[in-house]
Amino acid sequence: MRKRVVITGMGVLTPLGASVTDLFTSQIEGRSAVGPITRFDAHTFPTNFASEVKGFDLGKYVRDATRYKNCGLNTQFALAAGRQAIEDAGLLDANVGDRSRMGVYLGSGEGSDEFPALVRGLAHSAPKEGHGPCDTGEFTRVMLKWMDGPREGEQEMYTPAGHLATTFALDGPNQACQTACAASSQAIGEATEMIRWGEADVMVAGGSHSMIHPLGVSGFNRLTALSQRNESPRTASRPFDLNRDGFVIGEGAGLVVLEELEHARARKATIYAEVTGYGTTADAYRMTDPHPEGRGAIRAMADALRDAGLKPTDIGYINAHGTSTQANDSTETAAIKGVFKDYAYKVPISSSKSMLGHLIAAAGVVELVISITALRKGIIPPTINYETPDPVCDLDYVPNTAREVRFHHVLSNSFGFGGQNIALVASRYLEG
Amino acid sequence: MRPNRVTDMATNSRRTVLTGFGVISPIGTGPDAVWQSLHAGTSGVHTITRVNPANLPSQMAGEVRDFSAKSLIDKSYRRTLNAMARTVEFGVIGCQLAMQDAGLAKGMIPAERIGIEFASVMGATDLDDLAPAAKISLLPDESGPNMAAWGGEGLTHVPPLWMLKYLPNMPACHASVIYDIQGPSNTQIPGDTAGGVAMAEAVRILRRGAADVMIVGGSEAKVHPLSLSRFNLFAQFSKHNDDPEGAIRPFDRDRDGTAPGEGTATFILETLESARARNAKIYGEVVAVASGVDRGLTGPGLARVIRNALDMAGLTPSDIDHVNAHGTGTTRGDAFEARGIAEVFGTHVPVFAPLSRFGNLGAGSALMELGCSVLALQHGMLPGTLNHANPDPACPVYVHTGPAKPITQPYAVKLSYTDLGQCTAVVIRKWNDDR
Repeated sequence: MRKRVVITGMGVLTPLGASVTDLFTSQIEGRSAVGPITRFDAHTFPTNFASEVKGFDLGKYVRDATRYKNCGLNTQFALAAGRQAIEDAGLLDANVGDRSRMGVYLGSGEGSDEFPALVRGLAHSAPKEGHGPCDTGEFTRVMLKWMDGPREGEQEMYTPAGHLATTFALDGPNQACQTACAASSQAIGEATEMIRWGEADVMVAGGSHSMIHPLGVSGFNRLTALSQRNESPRTASRPFDLNRDGFVIGEGAGLVVLEELEHARARKATIYAEVTGYGTTADAYRMTDPHPEGRGAIRAMADALRDAGLKPTDIGYINAHGTSTQANDSTETAAIKGVFKDYAYKVPISSSKSMLGHLIAAAGVVELVISITALRKGIIPPTINYETPDPVCDLDYVPNTAREVRFHHVLSNSFGFGGQNIALVASRYLEG
Repeated sequence: MRPNRVTDMATNSRRTVLTGFGVISPIGTGPDAVWQSLHAGTSGVHTITRVNPANLPSQMAGEVRDFSAKSLIDKSYRRTLNAMARTVEFGVIGCQLAMQDAGLAKGMIPAERIGIEFASVMGATDLDDLAPAAKISLLPDESGPNMAAWGGEGLTHVPPLWMLKYLPNMPACHASVIYDIQGPSNTQIPGDTAGGVAMAEAVRILRRGAADVMIVGGSEAKVHPLSLSRFNLFAQFSKHNDDPEGAIRPFDRDRDGTAPGEGTATFILETLESARARNAKIYGEVVAVASGVDRGLTGPGLARVIRNALDMAGLTPSDIDHVNAHGTGTTRGDAFEARGIAEVFGTHVPVFAPLSRFGNLGAGSALMELGCSVLALQHGMLPGTLNHANPDPACPVYVHTGPAKPITQPYAVKLSYTDLGQCTAVVIRKWNDDR
């Protein structure tokens, strides 16, 4: 017998606010968090702006921040969002409940190697003249001398999910995935399945990611995936607008507490929404480009609706992946039409990324939190920077101004490099 | 024992069997070669040749020699090789070998009914990709880069597809394109437990009916100058440089650390119904997988995960032929793992730790080590653990050593863990056609 799964806690750390309330207020007001990169000197990069988390202090969230001093931002952000979500759910006290039935599923990113040491090692081991293979013996010598061991150890990809579990006494199933921009939505979907089939009562699920470091920004710049509006960072992320020219890198974390319905009712937890639908597919097309007709996206959305037992017209709001790249936004629009047919022109659709930038592995969960808050408050955040309609993106993207609408079900899309497509449906919780 | 709350998943649902095994490892490529090596007791851990090891404190590893992705990659896909790091190459070729071994080709399973779960990590950058940019931008005092130079001229020397070579989800991505795999696709990253949780999720996906066939694999290529430098700084690596084959000593009093390995182990997992319908050869059955956390690596948490897996499988400890341990040869790790095993099984169950033969494959480790028990059950013989000579009172387990001995029970348990206490336990069953 499949069990029902509800959300009983939410926490975020984002460039637009370090709480669900602050984030949602900023989204409704249409504020952009995008500005010049301050984390390092990026002024000569082809794209030199991003959406950064500012004023972050881990000490607000954990008892002893020095314990985590070697950790990367993926871990630190995850702890901040996790603390909020777990406290919100009333599960912060490790003596509450059976902790062996509470797990973690985190979509999180790669660590970042110490860049100055790496450059030093590479420059020393490269041939003095011309091109050729590096001297690996010299490279290891320089790295062993200049790299910081404990810090490097904390860049391993298992660490954020491990620290979340150990810090908040979540001894149950522990998974971490990295499917690029779909990762945290996939984590929520699979964690939901774990609860549905009885493997856990509670899963703290979501994502955490920062790629605003020299190698991350270098990599995206070379892929030419980023907007290059250096002269106007705030208007750079313009999903579905004719003049969109790429996405904006963001960073942050979001965690939700997923809980088996009867478990939540027994302890009288506040229920924010029910996770009713999950669809997961692969494009099997290309490394970075989505399938031009959106075949994987179409099936992910259709599967999520079927999983939720809903018709397309039951959906009152679609939180789009909406990255502001040419390919994503036109493909996503086509895929929405493929699933929703005529109703595609009526359902409000918006992109949180127009204000937040793209939180990569953390994007899906933060957008789900925004979706659920919109569902609860009856107000849909806009797509900002929407100025010039694109003939191939001709749906209702809730341009520039929030809209009051009462609705019962929301669909949130996340699509990743490599062709992973995830769709989640969250519904207003109704007893019975 | 606490009430059994998870068995309905195992009993009421579709059975999941292993029908293909693709393996590239320091002890051989392909299941036959690996089994011969396991049976003969040969080691694949040697002095490192892929990197000049002179400056490394620990100078041995399990290397895959003579690996040529170019000669093995699907012809339609050869031009994409320049966008694959070695760890991705291992993964993609592992998927191909597993599909071939299972008798599967593109199109034989409907695209939306086949999926992939891959255990992976972000690959370490190839030095030559970034060295030109580094040379241009190193500050005169050598403390690091002049960022303006790096972001300006430097960047123009970085290959455009640089980042895509290393992303963790690339093995799954490439395999999905080669085989038109449009079902669920996920990439698991929790280190040495990644293969265990990949298997867990694949079992879940098959049981809930979201696919009929899953590729379940893992790969990593740690024998890399950047990875070796980093791991030598934070991991406990053996210093027995004068005796590479004897360096990793699982649960032994004189153990002093592990050594890295590289390669891939990739399985085809499918529902019994699907395997029978296409008359597939069956290696064994995956009965249950559990994961959980042992905070502080004390032992009871690992024991709880093992008991959960046995509960899910509806088994008791006496049903188990052997425990396949991670057995890394680290001081703290082996003692922790032994405490967890002893708490569930006492000190008599045979413990088999195959890692000492090929090193720690990281994201590839759980499935590589699992493969050794799959082959042992299939052949009815349990090989011995290499390099365990002197028991350690801190490791209260019976380590099976010496020549292979007959399998006496149909089930084995495979353990994995990370140093933050993430643990997995996989229960497999010897395949017996009449059941």
